[in-house]
Amino acid sequence: MDYSLLFIVLFLLSFGLVMLYSTSSYEAALEYGDSAYYLKRQLIFTIFGLVLMTGVSFIPYTFWKKVSVLAYMVSVALIVLVIPFGMEVNGAKRWIRIPGLPMQLQPAEVAKIGVIIFSAMIIERLGRRSLATLKGFIFPMIPAVIVAVMIWQITDNLSSAIIVVAIVFGMLFVACPDYGKFIGIVAVVFLLGAAVVWYTVNSADTNSLDFRGERILAWLDPQAYAGGKGYQTIQALYAIGSGGIFGKGLGQSMQKLGFIPEAQNDMIFSIICEELGLFGAISIMLMFVLLIWRFMMIANSADDFYGAMLVVGVISHIAVQVILNIAVVTNTIPNTGVTLPFISYGGSSVFFLLSEIGIVLSVARGMRRDELAQME
Amino acid sequence: MSRRRVVNGKNTRGGLKRFTISMQNKLVVLFGIVLLAFVGLGVQLFRINRDNGQTYSMQVLSQQAYENQTIPFKRGKILDSKGTVLADSQLVYNVIVDSKQILQKDVYLEPTLDALESLGVNRNRIKEYITNHASSQYYIALKNLSYQDRKAYLEKVAAGIAQEKEKKIPAAQRKYDNIKGIWFESGYQRFYPHGDLACDVLGFSGSGNVGTGGLEEYYNDTLNGVVGRKYGYLDEGLNMEQTMIEAKDGNNLVLTLDANIQSIVQKCLTRFNDAFQNQYREGLGANNAACIVMDCNNGEVLAMAGTPFFDLNHPSDLAALWGMPKLDENDEPQDGYLTYTDLLTMTEEDKPRYLNALWRNFCISDYYEPGSTAKPFTVAMGLDTGTVSDSDEYYCGGYKMIDGFKIKCHTRDGDGWLTTGEAVEYSCNVALMEMVEKIGKENFTKFQNVYNFGLKTGIDLADEARTDQFVSDATMTDSMLATNSFGQNFDVTMIQMISGFCSLINGGNYYEPHIVKKVTSASGTTLRTIEPRVLKKTVSESTSAHIRDYTVMVVEGHDGTGITARPAGYRIGGKTGTAETLPRGNDEYVVSFIGYAPAENPQVVCYVVVDRANIEEQDNPMYATGIFRNVMEEVLPYLGIYMTEPVTEKESERLASKGLAITYTGDESSDKWEWADDDEEMY
Repeated sequence: MDYSLLFIVLFLLSFGLVMLYSTSSYEAALEYGDSAYYLKRQLIFTIFGLVLMTGVSFIPYTFWKKVSVLAYMVSVALIVLVIPFGMEVNGAKRWIRIPGLPMQLQPAEVAKIGVIIFSAMIIERLGRRSLATLKGFIFPMIPAVIVAVMIWQITDNLSSAIIVVAIVFGMLFVACPDYGKFIGIVAVVFLLGAAVVWYTVNSADTNSLDFRGERILAWLDPQAYAGGKGYQTIQALYAIGSGGIFGKGLGQSMQKLGFIPEAQNDMIFSIICEELGLFGAISIMLMFVLLIWRFMMIANSADDFYGAMLVVGVISHIAVQVILNIAVVTNTIPNTGVTLPFISYGGSSVFFLLSEIGIVLSVARGMRRDELAQME
Repeated sequence: MSRRRVVNGKNTRGGLKRFTISMQNKLVVLFGIVLLAFVGLGVQLFRINRDNGQTYSMQVLSQQAYENQTIPFKRGKILDSKGTVLADSQLVYNVIVDSKQILQKDVYLEPTLDALESLGVNRNRIKEYITNHASSQYYIALKNLSYQDRKAYLEKVAAGIAQEKEKKIPAAQRKYDNIKGIWFESGYQRFYPHGDLACDVLGFSGSGNVGTGGLEEYYNDTLNGVVGRKYGYLDEGLNMEQTMIEAKDGNNLVLTLDANIQSIVQKCLTRFNDAFQNQYREGLGANNAACIVMDCNNGEVLAMAGTPFFDLNHPSDLAALWGMPKLDENDEPQDGYLTYTDLLTMTEEDKPRYLNALWRNFCISDYYEPGSTAKPFTVAMGLDTGTVSDSDEYYCGGYKMIDGFKIKCHTRDGDGWLTTGEAVEYSCNVALMEMVEKIGKENFTKFQNVYNFGLKTGIDLADEARTDQFVSDATMTDSMLATNSFGQNFDVTMIQMISGFCSLINGGNYYEPHIVKKVTSASGTTLRTIEPRVLKKTVSESTSAHIRDYTVMVVEGHDGTGITARPAGYRIGGKTGTAETLPRGNDEYVVSFIGYAPAENPQVVCYVVVDRANIEEQDNPMYATGIFRNVMEEVLPYLGIYMTEPVTEKESERLASKGLAITYTGDESSDKWEWADDDEEMY
């Protein structure tokens, strides 16, 4: 067992629970009459998640290679199931009710892990020579893009779709020997993004824009949209700005008192900034850096390519999600709903993240003893 | 797990087996990129704090609701002398809607709209408001919801939620549990349980606890309490501290006014109005028909009313304006009367003018020439100064020449030789002019002041008028003096007349008229008692005794002008009055009767004024004496004053029709008053 990784994960989870309680207690007391409502639910998910993680860590990761096609099929099937069995929360249909249990499943979270398992297998099968070509890049991308488009269109969840594509993109970046096409693709994406922003800003009739268009406008000038789409962003900025270097102290946030709605979800990082200041925020970011560094070590010493690819997928997943989350909170990019791994409230998210950690642990289990010794 | 090493990272199937060094390097590059992104975001965090830290900190503080909430006080009650509540404030609630909370989840909207509809809010209108003002957190959807309605609503919702929990209905389908964003703000609403009873006296108080007219205005500060306050502030540690100061409720007024007498008066005035309404022209029975009942031995007002009445709970209801005289630009009555068409087409500028006319208390705010009711005052000043004596005799030939004017008496042929008392009984103008010549201008002007004519009496009601158009004895002309002697060419208010008249018959004590007997605190303890106050001595006791005799003759004498005023079974005194309004020659008159009972021991004075009755010939004091008789026939038994006179057959029929008992215990077969029965219809 890789205890360093385990320690970092447990630290992030515990810290997450403390922050979750601090952030959600006010709203929970108002809505449910129980200030620990969200904490209790998240604690149950976390405990189940840890059990699952331990179980998964004992399964040899080569097992996932055998079931990778099945995993992909299940991911796709679950997304399709949203159409008839989907549950609408806050106007978005992203969840499937689990019969007999007081909880829901978010298929997008399953899809992320499914895509990691499946793509690692595809990339391994392609072989070195194919990976050097453009075809070798496009071929593994196709199933990922299919899933991403389904997530986007069926569950109306663009951010999860972007994350799915980014995961495979990251895995391919590591697997492919060259840099050129990656730089090219990133450049194209940037240009496209700039074009969309340019189009939105110069659009004569702002009424014809959909909510994403408005989000772009709110991103550029959150003050002007403070009453609408920019509200959450500007309130998060207030929280960050009022935190200072060491923050107001744990539990002392004012912005969580109804100003940042559902702060325990996507905006929890702003409350961390407010309560613990720059110091606390950067400490948490360092914790994530440490986590990813540890992942990198595990990947580099993995027993085989498949195991390493799994870990790279997990790295991409967590890194992209952390970066997007903090970027949204600091208004570096337009507002899109991405949770902060291990810390934000969300059952599916913590459940499947811990499964991913379980896979990484099983990869670490197979690490060569000499390299392990070298690392300690 | 077995370890396999595959040379060049390739296995036999062509797939990758080894995570090569170059891949490891690329992973390090990926890590580097991630690290770079983290550094970038860290810098961004730093920048936000450095550039906007201060402004954002202030924004956060300024957004905090310090919850500076006022707690309303309860305005004091107004009670009559017997404890009947005339004005009260009841706890009501404003229904506040919080759109933001309602729109948080889709499942909230419909149940909340259902709930609002059940409270009496227009569903479509509030739905439109909520959807158009999604961020609104405070909107008054409904005002003045009663305590009972709110309680019933809360109980219904609580029971509904309990039932839903018991039946385990899924959250999204719960009807009651999904009612969100409705809350209640408490306040007080003024209400008047008896509608139009004593409307002019009470005045009314609307929103903001500001009284308009009458007691509500005069005693506004007494009735109002002090608002409480609930507020929060941030202490040094930036913790929210809450403090509450309770509201202090206002004080109550206990009146001298008696609701029973008041309702008798209003009933009699209404009966008159109904009888005369639309008689000669379309409109009310008279421009004004007013009546004051007062205890002459302490100045306590027992009743005060003037038509038209209005409902204090809906003071701005224009329907009450119907039939009132139209107003010219100076708010003086002019030709024509308001029809329903006028009410419907009334302009926004006119509405307050007419409503003010409606709310005006004729008894204290309007003035008019008193006419012959001033004669006892003139005679009293003569007697008191010794310039006129009881035994004097005057000859009336029908007119008297003053300053070259021929000033006529009420009959062309004159009244012949009259004693001082008969001059009052016959209401002879010529005799009065003779008297006032003896009294002289100096005495006359001095006594007008003593009687307080033209000056405020100091009654505790808002908007008392002062006429104060006195000329000094130096500038007074002879014709002015002559006409003033019988109540012409000077103005009085009803309250001035009745207060002065009380002093004439009670032995000369001028009591300050008042309507509030006592102020009590919200809990009922007496804070202040208003004792009767003698302001001055107007005339001597002996003068007063003579005036009582003369005014009894007005009602009892076979040629008395006030015979029709006599209530069945009682001996009373009084004086009629008829005065032509300005401009003269329009045949418009103010007729009045001021009288008291019982004759031997005056206790209660009643003064009735009918301003321009709705009939062709207005100059008949009978319009006023009729009201007086109706009022007194009910008020005297109510006050426990027993009949002293036998009742004629006609009178007993009349009393029976009104449901009044005959309390006379003497010789029942007496026909003492048969002569006074006339066939004229009285109202």
